[in-house]
Amino acid sequence: MRTSIKNGIRLGSIVGVVLIFFHLTGFSVVASSMLGNLLGNASRTANVTRLPIINLIIFITLLCIFAGGIASKNKEIDSWGNTLIPGAITGAFSGLLVAIFVYLIGIVYAQNIDLRNYLPEVGLPTINYLLFDGKKFASLLYFGLMTVGCIAGAAFFKSVIRADWRKKAQTTSVQTFKKFVKKSGIQKFIGNKITVYVFLAVAALLLYFLPTQWGPYWNYIMGTVGIYILLGLGLNIIVGLSGQLVLGYVAFFAIGAYAFGLMTALEPHAISMNFWLAIGFAILAAALTGILLGLPILNLRGDYLAIVTLGFGEIIRILIKSDMLTGFTNGPSGLNGLAQPRWLGNAFTDINFFHLIVIFVIVAIFIANRLQSSRTGRAWLAISADQTVAQATGINTFKYKLLALALGAAFAGLGGALFASRNQFTGPEDHILMVSINVLCLVIVGGMGSIPGVVVGAFVLKGVPELLRDLESYRLLAFGALLVVMMVMRPEGLWPKGRPALEALYYQKHPKDSPPDGEVQS
Amino acid sequence: MSEQKTTREQSSLNVSKLIRWIAGILLLALVGWRVYQTAFIEGGYGPDTWMRFIIAGLVIGGMYSLIAIGYTLVYGILFMINFAHGEVMMLGAFGGYFMFELFAFIKAPTASDPNMNFLNAYPLVSVLLAFIVGAVISATAGFLLERIAYRPLRKAPRLVPLISAIGASIFLQNAAQLLFGPQRRQYINPDVLWRGTGWSIPVGDTTVLLTYTGTLSLVLSALLMIGLFYIVQKTKLGRSMRAVAENKQAAALMGIDVDAVIGKTFIISGILAGSAGVMWGIHNGLFNHYVGFLPGIKAFTAAVLGGIGNIPGAMMGGMLLGILESVGPAALGLDFQLKDVIAFSILILVLIFRPSGLLGEALSEEKV
Repeated sequence: MRTSIKNGIRLGSIVGVVLIFFHLTGFSVVASSMLGNLLGNASRTANVTRLPIINLIIFITLLCIFAGGIASKNKEIDSWGNTLIPGAITGAFSGLLVAIFVYLIGIVYAQNIDLRNYLPEVGLPTINYLLFDGKKFASLLYFGLMTVGCIAGAAFFKSVIRADWRKKAQTTSVQTFKKFVKKSGIQKFIGNKITVYVFLAVAALLLYFLPTQWGPYWNYIMGTVGIYILLGLGLNIIVGLSGQLVLGYVAFFAIGAYAFGLMTALEPHAISMNFWLAIGFAILAAALTGILLGLPILNLRGDYLAIVTLGFGEIIRILIKSDMLTGFTNGPSGLNGLAQPRWLGNAFTDINFFHLIVIFVIVAIFIANRLQSSRTGRAWLAISADQTVAQATGINTFKYKLLALALGAAFAGLGGALFASRNQFTGPEDHILMVSINVLCLVIVGGMGSIPGVVVGAFVLKGVPELLRDLESYRLLAFGALLVVMMVMRPEGLWPKGRPALEALYYQKHPKDSPPDGEVQS
Repeated sequence: MSEQKTTREQSSLNVSKLIRWIAGILLLALVGWRVYQTAFIEGGYGPDTWMRFIIAGLVIGGMYSLIAIGYTLVYGILFMINFAHGEVMMLGAFGGYFMFELFAFIKAPTASDPNMNFLNAYPLVSVLLAFIVGAVISATAGFLLERIAYRPLRKAPRLVPLISAIGASIFLQNAAQLLFGPQRRQYINPDVLWRGTGWSIPVGDTTVLLTYTGTLSLVLSALLMIGLFYIVQKTKLGRSMRAVAENKQAAALMGIDVDAVIGKTFIISGILAGSAGVMWGIHNGLFNHYVGFLPGIKAFTAAVLGGIGNIPGAMMGGMLLGILESVGPAALGLDFQLKDVIAFSILILVLIFRPSGLLGEALSEEKV
């Protein structure tokens, strides 16, 4: 009983603070308008004064049902009492917090004070909406709604999600499906090599024909996803395989873009190099920078390396922008009119450019995959697992770490050159720290050291936000929270890397030696 | 490391060391030549200008020191870089700002001036309360940060808490942006502490302004550092902090609640960072949600410069970095927009030539 009260108060305070945060940042209003879009009772661009109150109530109730579900979990005895009491305590406590908050906000509203100077998202119309159209007893309503919502959530999770009949239904349906697959001979079909080829051919056809159908906007978005896959593959070699945390990855991206730009832009140098040569030059320049940066600092410990590379990224950006180098880099105004690829005298269309990116991505995946399963890849894995032991087994750790940095930088240089060429522009503001953080996020969210993970991560972090444009301003916030949650709950990522084949075989033969599941290698 | 290195390895080590030292001496000579040229041959700046740079450097250096101590304390105990520490400072700056705005809003009519507000009627109380509120907010943020983002990862491999810290940093920055808006805000100081007012010190033919805000920051940071030194050296909490930094398991066996000590360490570093944030606001005026990022990284540089894990080192490193950053561009004859480049270059150079820092001793394998 006492622990359930304690846990309830803890969870309740979290839920209460989260809801207050949602209210203050305007997320509640955005969520209501998205719900309105979903339910069809409000248009996408509806003003806050036109939003129906029911949407806000639904939003809060959904949040509470979820919270109640969490509150009622993790009990040794799954009885109704053990389910409903924590739910009720959580709901009541969070409701109390929010009620106090709403009461205070109500006082402000009654005085007609505009808080927008300090809290820009909380104007008077928003307060009016959050008070359920300025109801005087809004705080009581919140308290009741949240308590009932949490109890309902607990009951729902107990009676449906964790119920025996649902679990049984799930297992029986999965079993029937498996039986069906076995009997009908689909399994043979799936394992077949020809099927794999057919699948690949279908994927290639889709990649070829889809860009002609989905229009320039999606073409651009998917091109960005492709470039981020390239960047992710490169950083994956450095962070995921060789275990060096590099936070200034954007430096190599910037050097690739600027090497490409300086070689092809009309100003300030007018070298007008061929596109393909310039791409090669950008890759070389980035790789060389990687080597030059790596030579002095690769012997540093992991977190020092992170900060040094972060500083290096900032140095590059500040230098590009500075007055001192304006004659060389064009300063803050950036480089314009960069080269476009040509093939047999024909200029590339947007669709051709997307195909080019896809080809580069496929080549990069191939290279990364071959590297990963080669002797080099295994050396990297050894270094990331334990550097001292790796050194003792005869691996030249410095050489391999330098190789990883150079290769990763080369991928970034390619990405930067493609990015610059596609935009026909590159400037210092393309190369802010956020690029490094984005790429690091996609590598970690996908799963460090896993190539499919990089692809999944790039789609999740670059593609999905485009579907949810209303949430654009909350994207970085969600990234930050996602990184913390990911590290605490699932450090191996969405699509974790499999153990190398030989190692897996060894553990199959000697199950006693196998390490516990979910162990992270970094 | 063992002493049984092969001769080949030894010789290669020596060669790389030799190259490193030659490069270092060349670099030093280059910098010395450049400084000599700008200071004595070109002579673009008089002694008053240098004085101004040094004062500005000392003031900003005091803030760097306070933040750097936070990095060093946490690093000394957990061996992790608290990447979100700059954001903790930013929250402190917001706390002080809101206190000032609140005091400016409260009316405190006096006999002479009926329109007087609390801020100008009781400037000392207002400033003190602003510092206390800023420090409390930052301390809470630091404590919660440790509980939510770092404590569950105590036994994880080293990169995991660092990535979690980066996530927390992004989260806090964007949370502040969403809550308070992206625009720059200005601290409205009490009239007696107005920016740009101060004592004039005669230097040569002209005078140099020693601002009240700068003096306040410098004195307060010195007081806070003395207080911290007292806590670490003389109190029971300080002794347990040092014990935990030395060896967590042994400390736990001696009856020290390791988790509680770590939590208190985060609270102390939060107090220092929050005060630095309020100082930043009072002295520089403009701030926004992004204010913690650069000072955070530079304070880390300062901590590394002084020897990470070493508290006097962090204090000295902060002061030194502040002065170098302020004097550096002028002394090297560079643009002033390149002062961040100087700070980061110092970081890279220190890590290449003396990774243990100026005051740091060689750390054991586990700590390095």
